[in-house]
Amino acid sequence: MAVGTFVRLKLRLQVNGLRGRPARITIFVLGAVMAGFFAIAGYAIFAIPGVADNARAAAMLLQLGGSALVLGWLFFPLVFFGVDESLDPARFALFPLAHRTLITGLFAAALTGLPALSTLAATAGMVSTAAALGGAFAAVTQLVGILLGLLLCVAVSRAVTSAFATGLRSRRSRDLAVVLFAVMAALLGPLQLALLAGAERADWDAFAVLADVLGWTPFGAPYSLGLEVAGGRLWAVPLKLLIVAATIVVLLVWWGATLEKAMLGSESRGRRGTDREIASPTALLLGRRLPRSRFGALVARERRYWWRETRRRAALITLVVAGFFLPISISVSGGPAGPMAVFVGAIAAIALANQFGYEGSAYSANITAGVPGRVEIHSRAAAHAMFVLPLLLLIALVVGAVSGRPERIAGDLGLLIATYGVGLGLVLPMSVRAAYSLPESTSPFAVSSGGGAAKGLLTVAVMFGALIATVPLQILAFTLGAVWWWIGLPVGIAFGTAAYLIGSGVAAESLDRRMPELLSTVTAGR
Amino acid sequence: MTVPAPRGADPTEQAAAAMSLRGLVKRFDTKLAVSGVSLEVPAGSFYGLLGPNGAGKTTTLSMAVGLLRPDAGQAVLLGSDVWADPVAAKARLGVLPDGVRLFDRLTGPELLAYHGLLRGMDAATVDQRARELLDVLELGTGNRTLVVDYSAGMRKKIGLACALLHAPRLLVLDEPFEAVDPVSAARIREILQRYVAGGGTVIFSSHVMEVVERLCSHVAILSDGVLRQHGTLDSVRGDSSLEEVFVRVVGGRVSTGSELAWL
Repeated sequence: MAVGTFVRLKLRLQVNGLRGRPARITIFVLGAVMAGFFAIAGYAIFAIPGVADNARAAAMLLQLGGSALVLGWLFFPLVFFGVDESLDPARFALFPLAHRTLITGLFAAALTGLPALSTLAATAGMVSTAAALGGAFAAVTQLVGILLGLLLCVAVSRAVTSAFATGLRSRRSRDLAVVLFAVMAALLGPLQLALLAGAERADWDAFAVLADVLGWTPFGAPYSLGLEVAGGRLWAVPLKLLIVAATIVVLLVWWGATLEKAMLGSESRGRRGTDREIASPTALLLGRRLPRSRFGALVARERRYWWRETRRRAALITLVVAGFFLPISISVSGGPAGPMAVFVGAIAAIALANQFGYEGSAYSANITAGVPGRVEIHSRAAAHAMFVLPLLLLIALVVGAVSGRPERIAGDLGLLIATYGVGLGLVLPMSVRAAYSLPESTSPFAVSSGGGAAKGLLTVAVMFGALIATVPLQILAFTLGAVWWWIGLPVGIAFGTAAYLIGSGVAAESLDRRMPELLSTVTAGR
Repeated sequence: MTVPAPRGADPTEQAAAAMSLRGLVKRFDTKLAVSGVSLEVPAGSFYGLLGPNGAGKTTTLSMAVGLLRPDAGQAVLLGSDVWADPVAAKARLGVLPDGVRLFDRLTGPELLAYHGLLRGMDAATVDQRARELLDVLELGTGNRTLVVDYSAGMRKKIGLACALLHAPRLLVLDEPFEAVDPVSAARIREILQRYVAGGGTVIFSSHVMEVVERLCSHVAILSDGVLRQHGTLDSVRGDSSLEEVFVRVVGGRVSTGSELAWL
């Protein structure tokens, strides 16, 4: 009964969030179309082995595909979408709710939504395969399997984002969280390398072994239940059920523990620093090098915010991890640097896509002080670049060293800078025109309902835009070969700068016209 | 004055208005939040904008200072139209915004330095004034606590300090006394009174009658987006207390004594 209340509350919040807001309805519909597409494509793929009556293909596809789904649920909320926290756990702190009721309620609410629905629909294809291969009993077992799999997916995403969010709040555990995340990403690395290596050699046996191994981990276990029945290994079913159930319980307990902490609110960080006399407030804000001007003050404030505000910090950390992990794993397996540059550049720029949403109505101070759009946009980009450009340099160096091709460092850096510039050029106008308000939640991954779809769509759009806009450079880098190693850096910088100047110009002009409108869109509760 | 006075208005009175709102209208979706508010705030006055929750006080003040674009009407601050000539209008204006959403991941001194430099002041002046304000408002000149961890009263005080830093001639404060402890409230009152005595103009919104009655030279009562009464405190209040006038004007519910009997 209580669970029903949570679910109804969540649906009601979602419906109310859409009412009278055409933009949000559009985004919701787009999200629904994407979810529907994913569901149909997934169903078709998972149903193919059954139609083809191929048990070997089924074993690989279901176990590998299922594992990929669980991994997707683990990483996508962290990197791309955020989690829909329309039911912010902190809001329930005052209700006399038993811990168990709260967790089950929130969990049920988390299950209510398009992502869960489309995952379920996609995996339903597995039931059809199991039915074709092993008859009715296999189908029923597989049905149980995909239901458990869905529970597992949602539990994983909630537990990990919640733990990560709690970890990010306090200074000490923040560093720990970074390390944990990096380790998780690093664990993905060998897996991906093995997959790529297998694909290159068309070594299906390696895949089959990998699939069977995954089938005994929580990742693949729920999706292989029906296959075990079809294959006559009934003894495996209770064991795998146990694995899955235990994992779900552990995840829920873990989630419950971090939720408890989150509900107690952000602990004061004990940063009541020494109350000693300070010589100069401006020196405190600006440090030694920034100019004592409006621009300097804006840059200094932005720089502080990138580190002190949890959402922005999460974006930076994501960039650090993804920025090193992706290019390294691709270049180790012999892939080209171009596509990864687009990806890293786009992820870097995406952090600014809703830059005005981060601070909400505090932005009114800049309007009252009459900061022109040009200064506002340039200062924000400058502060972000202070973090990103050294990082890009480091990424290029490390990738060059790891892949054993140091001669390519300059050219790769050129590509990275070019895509970052293009990304900024695309994202800055968007940050003015397509800003949205963020909930005042304790979790840096929280988005209001519909916000996840918006964020995901933006990311995809920017990635495509950056890809298309840097096609000339990519072609150049590919055809010129060794010449690019020399001219890549200056050309990349020039290209990136030009794209940035165009985009920031458009953004500044539109900001000058829309300051009050922007303020009301980013003010929470409007 | 170079500003042409509207027909029928006394030019001297016009020049003396620190803030002049003419027919401000704002509609949110289907709800008319503010329907045609016109108000003259004389220079050197201490103006209280009264109204129940949801009356449109914040909306009106936001439109007046250029944070919310009105659907119709005009707002003139110290002789400059805030929408036609925002730079001039905002130069000598100090604002304490609604709910005091500040850049709260800065420390108090950092926030003041930020506001000062944003206003184009030179660093030495910013440092000197910021230290003085922090000292007078008892916020601690060496306080390294982030503003987000401040108490409600401290947040109001640091917000007020930010609004005062560039020595504006007009202060617009949204609920400056809400959720403030008595000690901080007394300090804020004292500073505002001194500011008005020095020739500054203050307009603030509130729904606390006592504060308004104690401080203000002028009051305006707003409800349902319409200005019900305005003028000097004495002319609005007449013989009764401000609270009685307010409840009568706003049309509060009269208690019969029988409701909530179970309490």
